Amino acid sequence: MEAFFTIANTDLLVAMVRLSTPITLAAIGAVVCERSGIVNIAMEGIMIVGAFFAAVGALYTGNPWVGLVMGVVAGGLFSLIHAVATVSFHLNHVVSGAVLNILAMGITRYFMVIFFGHPGTTDSIANNLGQLRWAIPGLSKIPVIGRMLFSQTPIVYFTFILVIFFAWFMKKTKVGLHIRAAGEHPLALETIGVSVKKMRYLGVFISGLTSGMGGAYLAIENSASFTEGMTNGRGFIALAANISGGWNPIGAFIASLFFGFADALQVRFQVGKVFDIPEEIFIIFPYIATIIAVAGLVRRSRPPKEVGVDFMIEQEAD
Amino acid sequence: MDIKKLKPVFFIASIVFAVIGTTLYMGAYFSGLLFLLAGVLLFLVYKWLEAGTAALVSLIKAGARALMVPVFGIAIAIVLGALVMLASKYDPVESYRALFYGAFIRNWHVSVLNAAPLMFTGLSVALAFHAGLFNIGAEGQYYIGAMAATFLGLNLNLPPFLSLILIFVVAGMLASAWNIVPAILKVRTGAHEVITTMMLAHTARYLSPIFIRAHGGDPDTSDHAYVTDQLPEANWLPRFRAFLPEANYRLHVGILIGIVMALLVYYLLYHTRIGFEIRAVGQNKDAARAQGISIGRNIMVALLLAGFLAGLAGVNQVVGLDHKLYENLSAGYGWNGISVALLASSHPIGVIFTALLWGALDAGGQYMSRVTDTSNAIVEIIKGIILFLVVAKYIYAFLGNRFRRYRRRKQEAAEEAA
Repeated sequence: MEAFFTIANTDLLVAMVRLSTPITLAAIGAVVCERSGIVNIAMEGIMIVGAFFAAVGALYTGNPWVGLVMGVVAGGLFSLIHAVATVSFHLNHVVSGAVLNILAMGITRYFMVIFFGHPGTTDSIANNLGQLRWAIPGLSKIPVIGRMLFSQTPIVYFTFILVIFFAWFMKKTKVGLHIRAAGEHPLALETIGVSVKKMRYLGVFISGLTSGMGGAYLAIENSASFTEGMTNGRGFIALAANISGGWNPIGAFIASLFFGFADALQVRFQVGKVFDIPEEIFIIFPYIATIIAVAGLVRRSRPPKEVGVDFMIEQEAD
Repeated sequence: MDIKKLKPVFFIASIVFAVIGTTLYMGAYFSGLLFLLAGVLLFLVYKWLEAGTAALVSLIKAGARALMVPVFGIAIAIVLGALVMLASKYDPVESYRALFYGAFIRNWHVSVLNAAPLMFTGLSVALAFHAGLFNIGAEGQYYIGAMAATFLGLNLNLPPFLSLILIFVVAGMLASAWNIVPAILKVRTGAHEVITTMMLAHTARYLSPIFIRAHGGDPDTSDHAYVTDQLPEANWLPRFRAFLPEANYRLHVGILIGIVMALLVYYLLYHTRIGFEIRAVGQNKDAARAQGISIGRNIMVALLLAGFLAGLAGVNQVVGLDHKLYENLSAGYGWNGISVALLASSHPIGVIFTALLWGALDAGGQYMSRVTDTSNAIVEIIKGIILFLVVAKYIYAFLGNRFRRYRRRKQEAAEEAA
């Protein structure tokens, strides 16, 4: 039991926030995307593309901020394929997402070989965002919470800001309301003269940007290199966080914290060798936690009515 | 004598030729292709005798139409792939020559070896699709099947064929049990199977090292670290060598089991009540419910069968090819099974061909990277493009509409001018 208390400390909470960040980023993207009516299981692939280009940008320019921008932009551009396929070409959302995940694996593998001459892991990124620890004066002195929330690395702060921004954006702005209408009652939205297509494109694009940032976080802040397959299912966990969080940015953030906690606990158990059982048992913690979360909480909230439903208007008689 | 009386003869002959041809061709005997061709021709004659010329023509037309989109997609993907190669300073002509030579001639046996597990996982995903479900976690069921097959293979000591049958059935059932939780959750709470099966896939992947260490893998030695002990030879799947002396020594009969499985799944889906109900649920839940078809029961059946099929892919790999379990077999047969199923529009018979195509592209890619400078990662890009072009069928309708509209407008303009 003593060993148990050696891991239950502030470091665990700090790690929770850190590890939940990529999931939160993808999850708030998923909220916006699903609210607009598009199911996006391509986030796993978008994250890996974002992670790769962030690493490339950071390695080639030596400036991690360029890497961050490249990761976000690459994620956004890649997500547009999903938007074109589902919104304009009326492809089944899940099918398109699955195809994009496969395409993302292919693209990163190919560019790995082109840029670095071998598949697998890139060189280590000397200048990464993980080195920048921004302690907020004053606030960071608060015990526990100070270290947990106010003495973190840059993208973690961006994530906090984005969560608050999107909570406001979806509730209070016109565009946010239009996005929600596109997922609830697209025909009504079209009737008042707002293009459902545009709103859905926007929803997917936002999820691409945030997932790209989540990927960038993994490659240039949480670790200092890119490895193929380094997202390890986080795109899907984010989808689960969105569902457990009731299609709401704040809820998705709390759910992501829970998954981040499972992940942090896993790492502690594994490193600390607290119990004498194979370390892989701990690695599967977050995955099992995800299943429990979607199983137990899914009924409490209602998904957007028209999520995953194709929207087509007869524009011209052909 | 009335030639129509010969109908059954043609039918049986076509089947016999097809079986012989398939066996030979899968054993990398290219004369098998001639037998296959003969089988197809005999079958067409049989159809002609049975239904007349008009029916034959419409059958051929339907076949050509079904092939058009995939062939078109593959052709465009090859062109786009060439552009990618040019952009990255590889020689496309030389690369493609090596790719196709390696895939379909030189290393055809590798293509067949690659295709066998893909056929099972592809069938698994395809079957679930028919029920409107997405078995994205086939990779996990694959691992469970492989682990179960290794365990049974190491411990069973029965007459050869009995133990093989037992391994296939029991390991398949264990893999299908891996899908029980997603199935129950889907029925009871509506939890999306994409998330639950995906999470269980990662879980199964991380369980495999534990299993390997428990069965002979020893992390302290470098050569035996991530692999179990070898299965006794009695529990190996027979190889083509046993009856085709010139077949490659690694080539095993798993591919034939895969093809038989595809025919069985086809029969199940289109000629049995269970299959009808599964498809009804997949197409329209409300209509199915109104017919008195139980949605929950069919979701359970479809997901469990899908787990069973994906598990067989792992069994096939262990008892057929490797005879032991490696950590991280990492070829991603589960994920690639999704592509194979999508490419075949979930048709079980189509899966046979798409699995072979995917396996051939992988084998050709390996050969290409050995004899040219081109990286075989290009194959992943080509595969992705093919998939996208074939899946996005609406693109063609969209372009077709655009074209028709353009032509009509031009016509109207011409009429106005006149």
